[in-house]
Amino acid sequence: MLSNVLEPDSIAVIGASLNREKWGYRILDNIISGGYSGGVYPVNPNEDEVLGKMCYHSVLDLPHRVDLGIIAVPAGSVPAVLEDCGRKGVRGAVIVSAGFSEVGNRELENKVRDIARDHEMRMIGPNTFGFINTHLHLNASIIPQMPEKGGISFVTQSGTFGLALVDWAASQQMGLHLVVGVGNKADVDDSDILEHLSADRHTKTIMMYIEGIERGRRFIDVASRIRKPVIALKTGRSRAGSKAALSHTGSLAGTDRIYDGAFKQAGVIRAGTIEELFDSALALSISPPAGDGIGIISNGGGAAILAADLSEDLGLHLPDLSDDTVRMLKGVLPAIATPANPQDTAGDGSYEMFKDVTDIILSDPGINALLVIYVHAEMVDPCLPAEAVIAAREGCDKPVITSWIGGKGIETAVKRLEEDRIPNYPLPERAVVALNNLVRYKRILKKR
Amino acid sequence: MKILTEHESKKLLAEYGIPVTREAVARSREDAFLLAREIGFPVAMKISSPDIAHKNAAGCVLLDAGKPDVGAAFETIMENAKKHAPNARIDGVLVQEMVPRGTEIVIGIKCDSQFGHAVMFGLGGIFVEVLDDVSFRIVPLTKQDAIEMTEEIRGHSILDGCDVESIVRTILKVSEMAAKENIFELDINPLIACAMGVVAVDARVILKG
Repeated sequence: MLSNVLEPDSIAVIGASLNREKWGYRILDNIISGGYSGGVYPVNPNEDEVLGKMCYHSVLDLPHRVDLGIIAVPAGSVPAVLEDCGRKGVRGAVIVSAGFSEVGNRELENKVRDIARDHEMRMIGPNTFGFINTHLHLNASIIPQMPEKGGISFVTQSGTFGLALVDWAASQQMGLHLVVGVGNKADVDDSDILEHLSADRHTKTIMMYIEGIERGRRFIDVASRIRKPVIALKTGRSRAGSKAALSHTGSLAGTDRIYDGAFKQAGVIRAGTIEELFDSALALSISPPAGDGIGIISNGGGAAILAADLSEDLGLHLPDLSDDTVRMLKGVLPAIATPANPQDTAGDGSYEMFKDVTDIILSDPGINALLVIYVHAEMVDPCLPAEAVIAAREGCDKPVITSWIGGKGIETAVKRLEEDRIPNYPLPERAVVALNNLVRYKRILKKR
Repeated sequence: MKILTEHESKKLLAEYGIPVTREAVARSREDAFLLAREIGFPVAMKISSPDIAHKNAAGCVLLDAGKPDVGAAFETIMENAKKHAPNARIDGVLVQEMVPRGTEIVIGIKCDSQFGHAVMFGLGGIFVEVLDDVSFRIVPLTKQDAIEMTEEIRGHSILDGCDVESIVRTILKVSEMAAKENIFELDINPLIACAMGVVAVDARVILKG
């Protein structure tokens, strides 16, 4: 079971080192400084003490068996070390060491996989940065900072880029639960992790960075059963090999298109860019899914039109407002403003205006989700319209997302929105893309 | 890899209940005339060879051949085939019914190394690659998958007025075929769709091994 690996009670760090440059040092240091409360046992044949902890010369010397072995030794030594883990009864392993199939050494990788299977250990890696479990305060990785606790779990294929993404996510204060680098996937693959996350109570939203999926049909079968939003970025649009195709189908069947179809069958939302992946995971993790029928409100006409244009490009529907809504809006809007969707308040960014207009449009039966855009013109305190949206949203189950546009002047307002778990974006286009994915998720749910 | 001729490919499609054109391979000029009379004039005539993929470009397709044309058409197609590909294996000339105009669709199979068989649906005809308006799903497909495929292509409104139910049924039969037969690649292009149903007008199956 993967819970032995990802929720361990005790850990041996094999290859723990005094050398700050070595991964074995960094991982042990991260585990200790992150505040993990389980047992931690450094293992290194040449050391007696590492980072203030007694160091064991072999896994076989440990006082009792442990759940997880994290292995950061040279690739050639991995089989022997893993064999020791198996003999000691270690339940699972994360192999951080590189130098396996990623450099063409598949034979060594298969050997390691077979050792893990012989001893019934689940194994993540090799060639992974490790993993983080924020709810256990466990940073069993080389990622320098612990992300904030939250409901998003992030599965990424290893590599420097994946590592940088996690570091960036942490700096964005994105609330994460599990971060797993799957590495070469010699044993545990994306589908295994998805199965774990599906049952995991802390995971509300699953975010994936994928370079390739091997057992494709299994991925579809596992993903299509998950009752949580799954959003994935798949890189590589190459149509290599299509030139030699013998049929039209062969020539049109780029890898990318096959993935496109597979993700649709799997009910996985496909993101086109890193920005979309992160923005939408945030929205999916804190907002209910959205029905189509989008309302847009702004104190700046330009921003509202920009958002409306993109909404239409993405196939979102901006319905006309009902007669009742129009009549009520006439009562509150400035004389120069006309009731419409998108709704422009003609520059009025006051609390009252944002509160009334948001209330009225949210009550329109044709509107199922709302985007409120505030353009900072330094006429009002941007916290006031933010408070207005927070108040108007109270007791309403329609998703509301916001875009507060401005520089330093809006920081406090943005913080207020975030505290109230409203997905907020610095640009209206980003908000629309995230909103579109809330709509896509609702469609996926309907299909099931 | 084994490439089936159009006629062999369609026999396989017919086994799965996919409607195909009435047709037969003529070995001689006289044969062609007799077959055409049985099928009903006018007829379409195409070279029958596993080695000639682009029949049209090779001058090996003649459409709307009437009673007086069939004999000469047979000779022309055989000559063009020999000119185009002197070493090609040639079964003869395929004589088939002319199908009334309709919407040209493509349905195909591709075997992917990660996902296994994938089914393609899209706008077909000779401009299939230029239009590039296709959608894929991994086998086995559900009916919902097949319906979505017909809805998600850019040119989906071109299907208005077609018997979409028959198209969906054909996609599902192709999915079933992909799961059962040892297919490497398959093209049904065009599958002609109209209000009355669908019919496979040209097809090409490539088997593995």
